Amino acid sequence: MLDASDGGGYRSPMRLAPAFPEIAVVDLKVCDRCGLCLPLCPPEAIHLALTDLVVDRSTCTGCRKCIAPCPVGALTMVPA
Amino acid sequence: MTYDTDVLVIGAGPAGAVAAWEAKRVAPELDVVLLERDARVGTPVRCAEGVGDAGLREFLNPDGAPWVARKIRRVVFVAPDDTEVQVAERDVGWILDRTRFDACLAERAVGLGAELRVSTEAAGMTCEPDGRWQVRLRGAGGDETCRARVVIGTDGVEAMVGRWAGLETRVPARDMESCAQYVVEGIDFDPDAIYLQFGADIAPGGYAWVFPKSPGVANVGLGLVALKADARNARQYLDAWIARRYPRGAKTACTVGGVIAHTTIRQTYTDGVLVAGDAAHMINPLSGGGIVNAMKAGRLAGGVAAAAIRAGDTSASRLSAYHAEWMELLGDDHLKYYRLKRALEDLDDQFFNSLARTANTIPPGKRTLGRIFAHALVRHPQLIPVAARFFI
Repeated sequence: MLDASDGGGYRSPMRLAPAFPEIAVVDLKVCDRCGLCLPLCPPEAIHLALTDLVVDRSTCTGCRKCIAPCPVGALTMVPA
Repeated sequence: MTYDTDVLVIGAGPAGAVAAWEAKRVAPELDVVLLERDARVGTPVRCAEGVGDAGLREFLNPDGAPWVARKIRRVVFVAPDDTEVQVAERDVGWILDRTRFDACLAERAVGLGAELRVSTEAAGMTCEPDGRWQVRLRGAGGDETCRARVVIGTDGVEAMVGRWAGLETRVPARDMESCAQYVVEGIDFDPDAIYLQFGADIAPGGYAWVFPKSPGVANVGLGLVALKADARNARQYLDAWIARRYPRGAKTACTVGGVIAHTTIRQTYTDGVLVAGDAAHMINPLSGGGIVNAMKAGRLAGGVAAAAIRAGDTSASRLSAYHAEWMELLGDDHLKYYRLKRALEDLDDQFFNSLARTANTIPPGKRTLGRIFAHALVRHPQLIPVAARFFI
């Protein structure tokens, strides 16, 4: 039941060819490094280190799942 | 430099500190290392700091403790139209000082012989042919490698240990609460009560809270589901709510974070690895409370890890006892709470306004959650399917 087809992206397949090639970037001046975006990222492209939060450009599929949930709006989309 | 340990606990929050504490308590001969990324255990605080009385007492006595900010005697639910419903319960709970509380838990572990290493973060890990995990560490003193028989991942919402170990730790967007909180000073409220306000315009898919730290000072925050929100982020929703409710309050110390309102991950263990607390999605999906759950899971994980090392078998099949114990203790209940959460999502503001008025017809001294629910079922038949999803 929890993984029904309306499961909001849980274990959803990665989109390999986005229609509009964009990727997420993080503004480190705004980011509070809370880690909320990490488990939301289907291809696990976001990494948090002690002083840094990084979106892996080669892994990000541009799915936007991390954008709205950021409590401070630190993530935005830019052309790939 | 490379060093060996029996148990490596990654993350010194409540789950990790209790896991290290329990491992040393069960098996004092084992080497237990507790890692903390930040320079000090308990900072930064990403938490509303509320905890229930009974669960807390299983671990520490809060009476007169220096890590307590406030005793809570009442819960006030606030409907979207600001109708307040005071619920009568006894010994409700406590607001903690998480910086001191987490430090106290870690001190317990250290007191039993665990080694605490602050300013040290795990950067990745690989499994060796002999079954040990080799964990790359980055710290103030440079890079190191730690080889551990069992790694316990208590690294919170980001859950990197689970990811490295190949466990499924991702979260669907609808089950992620985006939270923001300020410490607000100079505001007027009952300092013995916590306030929870619901409303689609206030905190869509979640609720806003006032958790008192002292008279006039409170943790004021909210959690929302971004999928249900307009274009604003959690902090912008919170700014709007505070401006309306506490226009004269002085906002300090903003903090943000994610609360995973989901069910326990399918598998919390693999060969030589256990994950516990927020990292394993062990938060109560209805209330968003996770401190006591994390400590209970940490206790189970520490005990199972210690017994497995003593027995010379840290395989997934041996460690699966931890998952079974957790599911029996709380994990299965969380499946019910999750169903209830999903059912409540279908009810709108008008319903909650009307429910609040129904609840207030019950005399204040008798207004328990159970009675409110019973009254509500009679007056609001749309609740029957909600109840059915909870009990079936």
